[in-house]
Amino acid sequence: MTDIPVIYFLWVSAFLFATGISILLVKKNTIFVLMGIELILNAANLNLVAFSKNDPSLQGLYLSIFVLVVGVCEMAIALAIILQVYRNYRAIEVDQFKSEY
Amino acid sequence: MSPLVIAFLVLAMLTCGSALSMLWTKNLLHAALAMFLTMLGLAGLYVLAYADVLAVAHLLVYVGGVLILILFGIMLTNQTDPATGKNHLMTRESGRLLPFSIGLSFFLGLFWLFTKGPWINNLPVTGDSKLKEVGLGLLTEYAFPFELAGVFLLIALIGATFVAKNHD
Repeated sequence: MTDIPVIYFLWVSAFLFATGISILLVKKNTIFVLMGIELILNAANLNLVAFSKNDPSLQGLYLSIFVLVVGVCEMAIALAIILQVYRNYRAIEVDQFKSEY
Repeated sequence: MSPLVIAFLVLAMLTCGSALSMLWTKNLLHAALAMFLTMLGLAGLYVLAYADVLAVAHLLVYVGGVLILILFGIMLTNQTDPATGKNHLMTRESGRLLPFSIGLSFFLGLFWLFTKGPWINNLPVTGDSKLKEVGLGLLTEYAFPFELAGVFLLIALIGATFVAKNHD
């Protein structure tokens, strides 16, 4: 059975990264922006996994496991901050956060 | 074409297509569902890259944890218009052309870079399940980062509950 070339994984991850960047730039809803950040993190993870496919010491795989943990922590904290922002501003669109001072 | 490549193409199309629909949709709930499909496709891609441990962890964490968190976030910040009774789930967006062209140029630049790179071809393939190696490595060589990740998770969760609580 032939193996899948690494470059295919890299193309998919480039696509995911570009999509995440576009979501970050297009959307105004904060939760949407968070989803874009998650897409970017996963694109990086796919790169790490694809390279550790040919690495006997599996360094990319270990790093991607820790990236997963950090991504989850970021998600929990960010959603808590979004809730708090919603309580103060009654809005979660990024262009509606105006300082009162 | 080998069946492995066909499976890869199907999974890559699932991943990229649902990511595109995440970009295209204006409805936050539809985007959450599209993100679920993206994560399923990514887990399949991880399996094809012989990282089955990471695929299972990815499914557990993203489908079981992050997606539920996002759905709760959507529900808790759901604004209902008192006049019409409708809610404002739709994101308002403007100026599509510039962000799309920036995203497209990112993709084309990365594509060019990856295709040109001389460092990704002709590496030896070690194709096998890596469950045993990862389990051993996490408890011997990478034991300290592993424990640190656990403490980090604890700190993040306590911090999240503290930030999200009502401070009035």
